[in-house]
Amino acid sequence: MAEASILEVRDLHTQFRTLDGIVRAVDGVSFHVARGETLGIVGESGCGKSVTAMSILRLIPPETGRIASGSIKFEGEELTTLSEEEMKRLRGHRISMIFQEPMTSLNPVLTVGTQIAENVVRHLNVPWSAARDRAREMLDLVRIADARRRLDEYPHQLSGGMRQRVMIAMALSCDPQVLIADEPTTALDVTIQAQILDLMIELKEKTGTAIVLITHDLGVVAETTERVVVMYAGRKVEEASVEALFAEPLHPYTRGLMRAIPRLDVEADAAGTRPRLQEIPGLVPILTKPIVGCAFAPRCGFATDRCRSEAPPLVEGGAGHTVACWEVERVRASA
Amino acid sequence: MTSYIVRRLFATLPVMAVVALFVFFLLRFAPGDPAAIIAGDDATAESIAAVRAKLGLDRPMVEQFVVWVGQLLQGDMGVSIFSNLAVTRLIAQRLEPTVALTLSTLFVAVVLAVPIGVVAAWKARKLVDRLAMAFAVLGFAMPTFVLAYILIYFFAVQWQLLPVQGYAPIKQGFWPFVESLILPSVALGITYMALIARITRASMLEVLAQDYIRTANSKGLATDRVLLLHALKNAAVPIVTVIGIGIALLISGVVITETVFNIPGLGRLTVDAVLKRDYPVVQGLILVFAGAKVLVNLIIDISYAFLDPRIRY
Repeated sequence: MAEASILEVRDLHTQFRTLDGIVRAVDGVSFHVARGETLGIVGESGCGKSVTAMSILRLIPPETGRIASGSIKFEGEELTTLSEEEMKRLRGHRISMIFQEPMTSLNPVLTVGTQIAENVVRHLNVPWSAARDRAREMLDLVRIADARRRLDEYPHQLSGGMRQRVMIAMALSCDPQVLIADEPTTALDVTIQAQILDLMIELKEKTGTAIVLITHDLGVVAETTERVVVMYAGRKVEEASVEALFAEPLHPYTRGLMRAIPRLDVEADAAGTRPRLQEIPGLVPILTKPIVGCAFAPRCGFATDRCRSEAPPLVEGGAGHTVACWEVERVRASA
Repeated sequence: MTSYIVRRLFATLPVMAVVALFVFFLLRFAPGDPAAIIAGDDATAESIAAVRAKLGLDRPMVEQFVVWVGQLLQGDMGVSIFSNLAVTRLIAQRLEPTVALTLSTLFVAVVLAVPIGVVAAWKARKLVDRLAMAFAVLGFAMPTFVLAYILIYFFAVQWQLLPVQGYAPIKQGFWPFVESLILPSVALGITYMALIARITRASMLEVLAQDYIRTANSKGLATDRVLLLHALKNAAVPIVTVIGIGIALLISGVVITETVFNIPGLGRLTVDAVLKRDYPVVQGLILVFAGAKVLVNLIIDISYAFLDPRIRY
């Protein structure tokens, strides 16, 4: 496993100092990404999935936050102890990232061409003219028509979908081994979402770049990823292949997420009403206080006294399917 | 863009007309009489009246105004009551020192302020930032003339590195010209430096929190490129605005500095003319100042379009 994985995160703790105390945004998360694989990280807002992504690139603002402990290994190299200068050589080159907000993630006063080409110049040591050729090539690759003209345009002249394509072109311009996509389609129209996801998968197959796809959308996960990590309150609660997860979710939280997806295949009853969507009761816990026991226990129908006092370890629940739940047998039986 | 500039230039005409109207009547309603000053301390009422008649000041005010505007439209600002020299010529003679002082002050202020502001924002809430902002507060609070005398005392009197006062026109050689401008520019520039540095810091802080800066950092770009290209270009519009306001303030701010450093510029000319109630000279000067401010504003507005591609006229 360790040989095959290109990125390995182990027991990552990322914390932020706030006026209310220390927020444990990521509280002991481990996962790995294999070469060329697509891994999904799923969870509600505030579960620590974006902070995990920012931690990998070490982009946590040092004024407020820090990686408190844990290890992040990229191609066997420990990233948490790398110098800032070495990190800069890595970012945008071997690990790159795209963000949720294509409308604000591009610099409004620089042309699209400049923003793609500067990445190439920075990391591949080529002259500007060659970098511009590469930028045009990348725009062709992400299927932006009339790439030569678009190079000299500014972000405000492009639509949201096109801007996200530009972000992808920029992120892939130096052939990275890992692309971290933090909610890349959340801010886009549904039709555009599908196009962007298809594009990412297609490019992944072409370039062999591994993708870490961070999302709250299980639909996106089902369509695009191979393996899924489910996060709750800064911890990993379940991990499985996408087939296994959707066939039999083992954590009550994952089940709750799935019940919250609208479904068309459920039959309406005689009165013509469909079953109400079930939300997960309660709220995400406050992360400034240390969580005793299972973080999900206060919202969980299966919770016992043991759940409230002792944190469940991750256990194997089938081939490569791990879950952190004391009551996994009862959960399994309830389905 | 060209049509915008032309429109803006035409729009300055009513502004200048209002300025002309105000300055003309304000001066005449203000206490003081140039005829009495010319006639001397023990002049009789008749001799003062004679001087008035000679200067045309006894005629109805509206008539005087019409005559003056008529001359203006032909590019003639009239003749000084005291020296009998054409106002345009007087102003032209004094223009070089003032323009030189304004530009060199601006240069000193911007060259210091922008890097200070950028570094302060980059190292926000750290020691460098606190020192820079303390320096800015001090610079802003220090009256120009106090700083001017301190600078003269050390640099000119004690260490004799620079001339105490006076002005060397550029045709006397570049180095003497620069030497004569250093102390006045620094004395006058510190206030603007403080103002521009604070705005630069504030504007940069706002920009540094934007998503596209996170994107730039996620590309592993060098810090100077992120700060000076990605951030500063976005932060530039408020900075340029304040620099523009600074130029406008400077035009009036040079009066004290020119007096302290004995520089024969427009500021000194203005003070002398006001004290003597030399109406045509004061009127001409105010019009020139107003025109300069309007022009600076226009240049600032045009510069926005170059800084931010989303702004189009």
